Amino acid sequence: MNRESAKALAIGTLGVAAAMSLAMVASHVSPIVGFNAFFYGAFGGKQEIAETLASTTALLFPALGIAIAFRAGLFNIGAEGQLLIGGLLAGWIGTRIDVPPAIAIAAIFLAGAIGGALWGAIAGWLKAARDANEVISTLMLNFIAASLALYLVTGPLRAPDAAGPELSLLPHAYWLPTLLSHTRATIALPIALLAAFALRYVLDSTWFGYRLRAAGEAPEAARRAGISLPRVALWAMAWSGALAGMGGAALVAGELHRFNTQLSPGYGFIAIAVALVGGLEPLTICIAALAFGALESGGLALQAAAAVPKDAIHVIEGLLVFALAARRYLGARGAGAR
Amino acid sequence: MLDDVDLTCEAGEIHALVGENGAGKSTLAAIAAGEIAADAGTIERSGRIGLVHQHFALIDRLRVWENVVLGHEPQRGGTIDRGAACAFVRELGERYGLEVDPEAVVETLPVGIRQRVELLRELARDPGILILDEPTAALSPSEVERLFGTIALLTQRGVGVLVITHKLDEVFAHARRVTVLRRGRVVEERPISATTREQVARAMIGGEIPAIPEREPTHGAIAVRVSGLAVPGAIENLSLQIAAGEILGIAGVEGNGQSALADALAGLTAYRGTIERPHSIGVIPQDRLLEAVIPNWSLLENVMLGRERATSAKASWRIDRAAARAQCAAIVERFDVRAASIDATLSTLSGGNQQKLVVGRALVDNPAFVIAYNPTRGIDIGATATVHTELLAARNRGAAILLISFELDELFALSDRILVMTRGALRGEFSERRFDREAIGRLMVSA
Repeated sequence: MNRESAKALAIGTLGVAAAMSLAMVASHVSPIVGFNAFFYGAFGGKQEIAETLASTTALLFPALGIAIAFRAGLFNIGAEGQLLIGGLLAGWIGTRIDVPPAIAIAAIFLAGAIGGALWGAIAGWLKAARDANEVISTLMLNFIAASLALYLVTGPLRAPDAAGPELSLLPHAYWLPTLLSHTRATIALPIALLAAFALRYVLDSTWFGYRLRAAGEAPEAARRAGISLPRVALWAMAWSGALAGMGGAALVAGELHRFNTQLSPGYGFIAIAVALVGGLEPLTICIAALAFGALESGGLALQAAAAVPKDAIHVIEGLLVFALAARRYLGARGAGAR
Repeated sequence: MLDDVDLTCEAGEIHALVGENGAGKSTLAAIAAGEIAADAGTIERSGRIGLVHQHFALIDRLRVWENVVLGHEPQRGGTIDRGAACAFVRELGERYGLEVDPEAVVETLPVGIRQRVELLRELARDPGILILDEPTAALSPSEVERLFGTIALLTQRGVGVLVITHKLDEVFAHARRVTVLRRGRVVEERPISATTREQVARAMIGGEIPAIPEREPTHGAIAVRVSGLAVPGAIENLSLQIAAGEILGIAGVEGNGQSALADALAGLTAYRGTIERPHSIGVIPQDRLLEAVIPNWSLLENVMLGRERATSAKASWRIDRAAARAQCAAIVERFDVRAASIDATLSTLSGGNQQKLVVGRALVDNPAFVIAYNPTRGIDIGATATVHTELLAARNRGAAILLISFELDELFALSDRILVMTRGALRGEFSERRFDREAIGRLMVSA
């Protein structure tokens, strides 16, 4: 963890704590009672810890993906759509294959990665070939992904046992093994952590990572050094989508045990905050994901115990991103005025 | 950065502030103009102090008049009076020989004209003292003359002008006093009439000027062959050849197709015609900060840029950090790059040291063909000598070198042969080092 990302994390933690206190006071709840409920909800027992870890996992995959794109200078805000398409392909493969469980789980994650990668690569290709602004294209592809998924599960892929917009249930043997029995915390978490370490290695020690960072940091210098910016855009978006898609696969195989179009309550968007709070460094992002995971599960408990609306937590998360983005912008201006 | 500096610039005088890069000249200018605060000391001034930056501080997307009047816009009924602003810019331009179309958008203007805009913006605020930071770094000889004409007009009106430069020719041609700064201290301050170029140069670098190596006779085969080259909007039907062991100098005013030529030869732009050149190539780009380096990265990571093959592990997708560190240390050593360590952030280095790293990176793998585009722009005497030495050493080794420069002195010092580039075409050929400054200057401005 470098100094810059440590600072972002510290500022984020303090800011969130202060904002939460304000939200509690505004809801006529003593912060002592409120934080007590919050921390109990996040870490109070096996079930609570498991909920926190499950949210952490769901955020960590797309946050790592977003970090790849951001490090390449691409503002991928389409992780939600990439996650959904990844989940769709994972959920479909899971009902179509008949192999030993370990291979099936590997295939489900691979399918998630491929689905997300293809969805991300669309925006990457548009950027590479047509210089289309990736902010717009990734945002719009979120809507297309949602509509496409809905069409497929209610139309061509319609499952006989479906109760809503969803595919069939995966065979029980393909469900991800849990870390803590009878909870939602699954082996997807160590897989995500492994992905974080792998990403750090790729960024630091491979030419692919080097080119990606150079293109993000100084595109003109990178281009003149023989780095193909279109190629970087395409592959960065594909890998970014692949990680988000693995997040979709983890939700499918670990939590719902089937694909449902309501798979993600906005993990792909909150993950932008996680990536930024984590300073776009894979290992710091793991810590940020844990913090946001705790906010998710603790916020739910806070709502139940102290009637502080869970939306307040989301407002706080939004404020946090806003503050970090502003700090980044102001910091850049300060350096430029030197 | 600066230590106990005293400097006085009198009304109506041209005062030259000279020193190597990193000596603290720009810092001193920024403090005098109030852009950054000093830790100690006082600044007394009569009237405003205006500062024209080396890297212009203009808003590229705005028009000339908008840049000039920004902050004190002429008003008419609550809106900006555009007509009055344009008239003001025209009038000011005529008075000081700084004619610019007030309606032009800054980003469409060449460097020389942008500098006029920057000057106009400062003059619009009626300064008592005007500081010019490296004002001639990007100007052609005729533009330099014109600039000093403007400066003379200013001094006649009682404005004191402080010129920051490292070109001693200009100092001795125009200035009345000279102050030499070295490592943040004033080491000499005299009237021009009481000093010599050699004395000032020695004071700047704190020792003798390094000698440039001998030009060994080389008889190479043709290494670079360009015929019928055309780049849309920049070059039509250009042909040239460079032999191994030859430095071909391209003289010309900025904006006559030099960038397109360099980019076509480096394979960075689409072109028609044929280019035959060696595969191994080293490029020293024109704009160091934008095109050559990643300022926020370490020296180490910058040295790897564009040199993947030389710093790859056995598996070509992996970076060999140990090899990269060793090579970076070797470049720093051989090209005299002064930095705290190879892990230091590049932007903490002075411009001259950054450029030495860029030159080192371009030459360290002994390329058969080198493109050097203004390789010493804006850097000091010591660093310039290092760069010139290394370019000549590469030539003596048998490299074919294309040297594009806006400075005739540099071309004369290094080139074996000079061609003049105007409007995308090459004219005149001056070979066997028989260079005629006047003839070349005339060709540079011919239509």
